[in-house]
Amino acid sequence: MNENDVVLLGRALREHGVAVTPAEVVAAVAAFAVIDQADREEVFLSLRSVFTARIDDFPIFEELFAKYWKRLPEKHVERAGFSKTTLKERPGAPQRGLAYFLEHWSSSRGEDGEPLKVPGASETESAAAKDFSAFGKEDLDEVARLARRIAKRLARDPSRRWRPVRRGSRINLRRSLRQSLSTGGEVIALSFKERKPKRTKLVVICDVSGSMDIYSRLLLQFIYGLQNSFAKVESFVFATSLSRITGYLRNKTYENALERLSAKVRGWSGGTRIGESLAAFNTDWLRRIDKRTVVIILSDGWDTGEPEQLAQAMAQLQRRAGRVIWLNPLLGSSSYAPATRGMQAALPHIDVFAPAHDLASLRALEAHLVL
Amino acid sequence: MREEVQQIKSLLEEQVYVTDAAVATALYLSMTLGKPLLVEGPAGVGKTEIAKVLAKALNTKLIRLQCYEGLDATTALYEWNYPRQLLHIKLDESSPTSEAEKEATIFSEAFLLKRPLLQAITEHGRAPVLLIDEIDRSDEEFEAFLLEVLSDFQVTIPEIGTITATHRPHVVLTSNRSRDLSDALRRRCLYHWIDYPSLEKELAIVHARVPAISETLSREVTQIIQQTRTMNLSKVPGVAETLDWATALVALNATQVDREVLDETIGCFLKDEADIAVFKAEPRVYADERE
Repeated sequence: MNENDVVLLGRALREHGVAVTPAEVVAAVAAFAVIDQADREEVFLSLRSVFTARIDDFPIFEELFAKYWKRLPEKHVERAGFSKTTLKERPGAPQRGLAYFLEHWSSSRGEDGEPLKVPGASETESAAAKDFSAFGKEDLDEVARLARRIAKRLARDPSRRWRPVRRGSRINLRRSLRQSLSTGGEVIALSFKERKPKRTKLVVICDVSGSMDIYSRLLLQFIYGLQNSFAKVESFVFATSLSRITGYLRNKTYENALERLSAKVRGWSGGTRIGESLAAFNTDWLRRIDKRTVVIILSDGWDTGEPEQLAQAMAQLQRRAGRVIWLNPLLGSSSYAPATRGMQAALPHIDVFAPAHDLASLRALEAHLVL
Repeated sequence: MREEVQQIKSLLEEQVYVTDAAVATALYLSMTLGKPLLVEGPAGVGKTEIAKVLAKALNTKLIRLQCYEGLDATTALYEWNYPRQLLHIKLDESSPTSEAEKEATIFSEAFLLKRPLLQAITEHGRAPVLLIDEIDRSDEEFEAFLLEVLSDFQVTIPEIGTITATHRPHVVLTSNRSRDLSDALRRRCLYHWIDYPSLEKELAIVHARVPAISETLSREVTQIIQQTRTMNLSKVPGVAETLDWATALVALNATQVDREVLDETIGCFLKDEADIAVFKAEPRVYADERE
């Protein structure tokens, strides 16, 4: 391995989605110059600490490093799971669901009105949701606008009210003068004030399993809108397991976000394990939930896991969160009753149980988000 | 392995810190390239300890900035000591000095309260170790401000002027990953991940830090802790808990961990009622003890 390989390794990492900028490459070459270049472990550890910035980057680094250490030409580095070309060349996805849409978003733009088939769900549900599948481009834009409006309302800068604080940028004259009486009218201790902040945080957990396919596309747009106009949003998706997508949606164009997500969608549109996914969420993220957090779960409640686990996870979540909102698209149908085992288990631990099948229902959500 | 890396390793080991090549390499690069080191990992694996040990090993000062939600520039950087300024004005009221002179006096360094970041920059003698602890707890605004300081190591105080670091501090940042840090900050730092130690490493840590412990007891303690970490707990015990527990067992003159001793001291490493229930429901823990 020589300096050249270090640069190439940096480039390969960037191609595989690790945030490597020229600055890192410069630092890596600098690091390479001051270490024992024959010691594989040392080179590995050094370059890893420079090139990666989070533990999630470690596996891909390890893999690519191994190739470059042996100085293999770059084409050997391509890996099925990471390569974009194999993604596109994959023969037609069996379902035209979210995963399909994500993988083909570029070619399917402009034919947004084309109905999507509902996989695996029973007849009544697909009937209730048919209007959704015919959602046109304007409607998607409307969803995005709605999301931005809700987000603005949540983030609306510091509230009008002041509160006294121990230290701040604005002097609380009234208090300072009042306090100065105790020192004979001499102002010695100043008190300060600041605007009361609004600190509502949002956590959105979206079900992207097969039975949710037709809604997920729209809801994803909704989450994308929220994520990009409101800083305090964390978003997750789950089908059989949970993955965090906050970073994929933030500060990207919608197309760009979809492209990045498409690399991740394998395993989406499969079965649903809500309880397990929520338990996984609790393990890693429950610490971040507090009374100022609104948790929104978007799911139809079709769970193939254990209802006890779901109930337990929901109870834990509700104890910590300011409000737990469960949006069930099926609730829009008049014939629907939340009778599934999963839904039954979760119901006692939900603060707001609302439909999410059309624009009106999303609009109604706004009122529930302000704590 | 490069000699310097080996040196750092042995320096750390002199300070009773059980380390590995990864930590030593990261520290070596951080010092050589002058880049801050970002250390991530679960709670209680000794992230903060790295900075402390480094300061001791380099025989230099440790300056610590503990982050929390709402931490702002005044608490982290500097602040004017206004009560003192006010008093000074009052005492000086009758003196004939001019307005300008008075102002120059009260905005001099004597009236400046240096907070950790400014302290680290103005430290004389040798470069200090600046520990920015639990950066994930601070707000995003503060993170942006920190970026600015970490890139130039200079601070501008309007009344005094620009202060540039005489010695670039060795910066160590720690994060528990409760919030995702910005890419900008991550990019500026070298990255190091500390995980829970392996059984062998944890044993070595216990022996290094609790020298009075017997071989059998330490093995039992670490084995139980390692097992505990695989359970589904809300608060997984870290190395700090292992050491607490080992110390407690030594203090109680325990020779082995039987059921009774375990019940008495379980609070040393499990700090949550529900977790204790999970632990006790696990059959293998007690089963192992009865053998």
